Amino acid sequence: MSFIEEIPCFEVLSSVVFIIEGAIDEAHNPQAIASHLDTCLACRSEVEHEQAMHSLLQDVLRRTCDEKAPVDLQQSIHEALLRQATGVGITEVVTQFSMTEISIEIDEFGNVEHSEIQIEQTHIQHIIEEDK
Amino acid sequence: MASKDLVLESATDRNDRFERDALVFMDQLYAAALRYTKNPEDARDLVQDTYLKAFNSFHQFEEGTNLRAWLYRVLTTTFINTYRKDQRRPQLASGELEDWQLAEAQSHTSDLGKSAEVEALENLPDSDIKRALQEIPEEFRIAVYLADVEGFSYKEIADIVEVPAGTVMSRLHRGRKLLREKLADYAKELGYSTQDKKGKGEKS
Repeated sequence: MSFIEEIPCFEVLSSVVFIIEGAIDEAHNPQAIASHLDTCLACRSEVEHEQAMHSLLQDVLRRTCDEKAPVDLQQSIHEALLRQATGVGITEVVTQFSMTEISIEIDEFGNVEHSEIQIEQTHIQHIIEEDK
Repeated sequence: MASKDLVLESATDRNDRFERDALVFMDQLYAAALRYTKNPEDARDLVQDTYLKAFNSFHQFEEGTNLRAWLYRVLTTTFINTYRKDQRRPQLASGELEDWQLAEAQSHTSDLGKSAEVEALENLPDSDIKRALQEIPEEFRIAVYLADVEGFSYKEIADIVEVPAGTVMSRLHRGRKLLREKLADYAKELGYSTQDKKGKGEKS
């Protein structure tokens, strides 16, 4: 048989949120809490009250916070998504830069060496136009 | 769905799939956005921004995982990063995690106090409930809303808000307590008493 620590009421009461969240295992001392609740009527009644208050508060909040989005919001989101997808309203600015360096060398024996270096850079910038 | 199929999905198909699956949550997200921003114009903009952002990273979203939780995560981070940037972000008090468990003197409530509290809550008008929710600090409001209205578990909330699970637990505990205190105050103004010694209707 394992030893279960005895804990005072305030430790049980401060863990009520774990009980309400159904996560008593995450509380500091789950076995001690369970065993305390078995014997302490006052704490048990407190936990029951907290659970009742929590479910009442939930009902009240859910009843209250049930606003519907404005009727045109769905259409407005749909259009914004399309605009984003098709790129309407986006200006693409392409800046291209290219340079070719050609060098010809003729050495003392009359051999011609020829080299060419090409540097190219492309920069694309998207400008999104505001509707307003 | 195999990842190959996703690659082959055309932009239009993806757009259709997104709208079909995600827009059903619009009313819920709007109600949450109202609690976050506290006004209809910002709530509307926040919901629209949320959908645009969500669509942009929709390819990262794995089908079969919780789309609703994912949308709430986009909503919450968008709110925190965009709509609040002009306000000072509330700093977390150091030790937010554990202090509440010890610092708070917890004691039993009398039976009379309990029934008075229930009665007060049952009789408050919706406008007072909304007002109380608006008046509690943002981090508590978001946690309580996600848990008690949307029904997310504290672990899901930790993921949505991007804070440790223990912090969520502490915010739920303190947030609900603050909310109940506010509601008890309003109830008192309306003539309900949640005090132990006075019963309801004992107006002098």
